[in-house]
Amino acid sequence: MSRIFILTPLIVLLIICIFSLAYLLSGKDPNKPPSALLNKDVPIFESSSLYNSKNVIKTKDIKNKKTLINFFASWCSPCKIEHPLFFEIRKKHPELYLLGFNHKDPTSDAKKYLEDDGNPYHFVGVDSDGLIALEFGVFGLPETYLLNEDGVIIYKYMGPITKDILKNEIEPLL
Amino acid sequence: MKSSHFFKILNIAVLSFIFFTFKIYAIESIDERVKNLTLELRCMTCQNQSIYDSDAEFSNDIKKIVKQKLQEGESERDIKKFLVERYGEYILFRPLMNNYNVFLWIFPFILLIFGVFFVLIKTKRKKV
Repeated sequence: MSRIFILTPLIVLLIICIFSLAYLLSGKDPNKPPSALLNKDVPIFESSSLYNSKNVIKTKDIKNKKTLINFFASWCSPCKIEHPLFFEIRKKHPELYLLGFNHKDPTSDAKKYLEDDGNPYHFVGVDSDGLIALEFGVFGLPETYLLNEDGVIIYKYMGPITKDILKNEIEPLL
Repeated sequence: MKSSHFFKILNIAVLSFIFFTFKIYAIESIDERVKNLTLELRCMTCQNQSIYDSDAEFSNDIKKIVKQKLQEGESERDIKKFLVERYGEYILFRPLMNNYNVFLWIFPFILLIFGVFFVLIKTKRKKV
């Protein structure tokens, strides 16, 4: 009888521990680390246009409009894969503001890339030193962020977006 | 006259020696701190490699930022906070001690208590 009194709380404790651990570790895919900026305000940034250095975009310029931010570079092969999809997005959702950040790219290479493959963005900002990417927590290209009208990051995708991701994950948020 | 020149040169030499020794020591010390801190940070683009051990572009960028921030006088805690705010806690090999993670920290001790009780009960029963 006394053994039951000693063992029962311990077993209950162990069961609670196992369930708590399972809860803590649930939905954590090591290949897709969670974004620290999800559901937070867009970081403060300022970037000049790839085509005209006097033309500058700031955080406040994208408030009050849904914005899709894409970090890309001419040297990034996966960026080429997703690139055509941005034309599709722009056509289907003309209200969506497309902001591209050209990451650590020589200007001439970036311009040639957008000349050859087309420019789907409303504005292409330069991030030559990678500091804007750092503020966004970018660690590999391409990365895409969706912001609501309040400037809150509501979605982030690491890697090239696909038609399925666009249809099932991005479009329901638009 | 000659001796005063000699002492002037000696003074400059000694001061230069102290200055350069201190400078080299300071640089080494920063590099050492960069190493220690980046060993605790996860390379987000590699498999189970620290930022210090990795040569990935991401890791090199973080090493530069860590060094720059240390040179600016920021503490290691502030730098970790800066990185966690941007990349999440995933960038740290060692989880932070906060409300969310406290269970992870105490779980081994709970298991230890459970094990000790189990062993005690077993040994008591054997004696009987």
